[in-house]
Amino acid sequence: MEAHVRDTGRRWTLPSVTGFDHVTETVLTPLMDRRASRNYWIAFGISFVIAAIGFFAIGWSITVGPGLWGNNTSVVWGFPIANYVWWIGIGNAGTLISSLLLLTRQHWRASINRFAEAMTLFAVSMAGIFPILHLGRQTYFYWMAPYPSTMTIWPQWRSALVWDFWAILCYLLFSILFFYVGLIPDLAALRDRPGRTGWRKFYGFLAMGWQGSAKQWRAQERLHRSLAVLAVPLVCSVHSIVGLDFAASLTPGWIESIFPPYFVVGALFSGFAVVVLIALVLRWAMQLDGIIVPAHFDAMAKILLAASVVMGASYCSEWFTAAWSGEAAELRIVDFEFNGAYRPLYLAMLACNVLSPQLFWVPRLRTHVPTLIGVSLAVLIGMWLERILIIMETLSTGYMPSFFRLYSATFVDFAILAGTLAAFVWLFLVFARIIPVCSLYETRKLLASERSAQS
Amino acid sequence: MSHVAIALARFDDESPFIRARTRAHAEGFDILGEWGPYASDIFSDPDDTRPIVWTVAITGIIGAVAMFALATFTTYAYPFNSGDRPLFSWQVFLIPATEFLALAGAIGGMIALFLKAGLTRLNHPAFDLEEVAHASRDSFVLVLGCDSGSRANLAIDLLAQTGAFHTRLVEA
Repeated sequence: MEAHVRDTGRRWTLPSVTGFDHVTETVLTPLMDRRASRNYWIAFGISFVIAAIGFFAIGWSITVGPGLWGNNTSVVWGFPIANYVWWIGIGNAGTLISSLLLLTRQHWRASINRFAEAMTLFAVSMAGIFPILHLGRQTYFYWMAPYPSTMTIWPQWRSALVWDFWAILCYLLFSILFFYVGLIPDLAALRDRPGRTGWRKFYGFLAMGWQGSAKQWRAQERLHRSLAVLAVPLVCSVHSIVGLDFAASLTPGWIESIFPPYFVVGALFSGFAVVVLIALVLRWAMQLDGIIVPAHFDAMAKILLAASVVMGASYCSEWFTAAWSGEAAELRIVDFEFNGAYRPLYLAMLACNVLSPQLFWVPRLRTHVPTLIGVSLAVLIGMWLERILIIMETLSTGYMPSFFRLYSATFVDFAILAGTLAAFVWLFLVFARIIPVCSLYETRKLLASERSAQS
Repeated sequence: MSHVAIALARFDDESPFIRARTRAHAEGFDILGEWGPYASDIFSDPDDTRPIVWTVAITGIIGAVAMFALATFTTYAYPFNSGDRPLFSWQVFLIPATEFLALAGAIGGMIALFLKAGLTRLNHPAFDLEEVAHASRDSFVLVLGCDSGSRANLAIDLLAQTGAFHTRLVEA
């Protein structure tokens, strides 16, 4: 991949993309006509093996119990909740990006919304594993659902666990519907394109008889927008609920009203970092240079930069709140962040989340591939550190000095995290071979508007 | 009105399609069908799609109210004392209700889409037209109804003049 993504005359598509058919072929040829490359199968195999190890660790944890993890009597949440918050954050971003950009009529979303939404589905699926695992008695997880049991026991609606259950369930199902509504016209394109009969029948079934008539477009577009209107508050509420898991407790470092918005911005931040990475990989692997162009990276880098500033302000707010309140336990947490046992991790988090995106103030670096990769990875690491530090710092130093205890993760903790990461990559590799990674019809519309603006 | 023939045309861009559509209207042709590779702005008709928005809103509100009622009912059916917090903790009942509002609205909207757009009809006469298959990939397609042979020729001329790159006449 070239060090710099070349600049173009047209803003969101390259001049090499000449017509609607070209858009269709650019996206569908790697999907249907080209055999998967050696690199693809290597990535497929490696991710499968690591995912298998991770799921073996999950199975082992279910069999033996949470004693295999680093959680202790003080730091009772540990990796499972940190991983959950991190994954749900990434998962929130896909639908948020897609729906916000749709509502604000940002037509450039055409190139990124499809894989951003797929990212949501896979990330939320990964996130959903952790609260169930963390229950300890996973076989009873269905007790969170309201059903008329023989013992007439009903869910405890005042518990954050039940809030999470509904948040994940509704969000996942909603995201599948939102994804599907946007996908139907492209499934019809796959159905109508010459190719293997079996696959065409498969896509034809999923396209549900879509023809692309004026009436169908009207209905599809209206519903897509209506769902986007619902999606924005839904996404904000889902991650706010995750924030409330912490903020609704009476624990120093957690009981802060800034947590819900702070978590939502963090979700957008980490999600955009993943979208940048996926966009770079797909652009290179599927030769989508004509559709995913420098302007996309420039726009996403600006959003990362803006989010990093908000994150920095949120950290400052935490410190200020502690100082202003004068509460001893709050001050002790802040002191522990900068001078305690986790100090290197805390400083690394600040460097990754606040400092590294500042590189994007330089316009040239916003389209510089190594910088984009480096900063996006740094943000992902930084956001994961933030999630684990929220848990470790507060629970290691609560109100009672007799409860002060440090946390250290075990091999099983890391294996489960790595396993979900690999499973995410594996699912994405499967997705990239089955579903068009960019929205065909929206890219065609973008192309038409760019062409008419040029002429 | 009975038609003796239908004239079909494919356009590789939106502007000739709009031109053809406008002229066909002006010259009194029946537009029997129009297809496109994306949602052109000229397809939009807020009045036609308003029921979808209403369905989303109403099913969403019903879902939210139902979830709130479920939370309230089950709390009293199993009155568990959780840190002396009130049984009717409506503030937290709003959380699952809000989540379910979006999901119920989306499900209602999907049903409305299927009904409004005539989906799940995997076999439709339009699929017999070769041109329609191109609409999902690269073309705008316009089908005009012609009530006489001379009108059919006029229709074909109109479509060709406005920029169609493919035209065809089919006897009805």
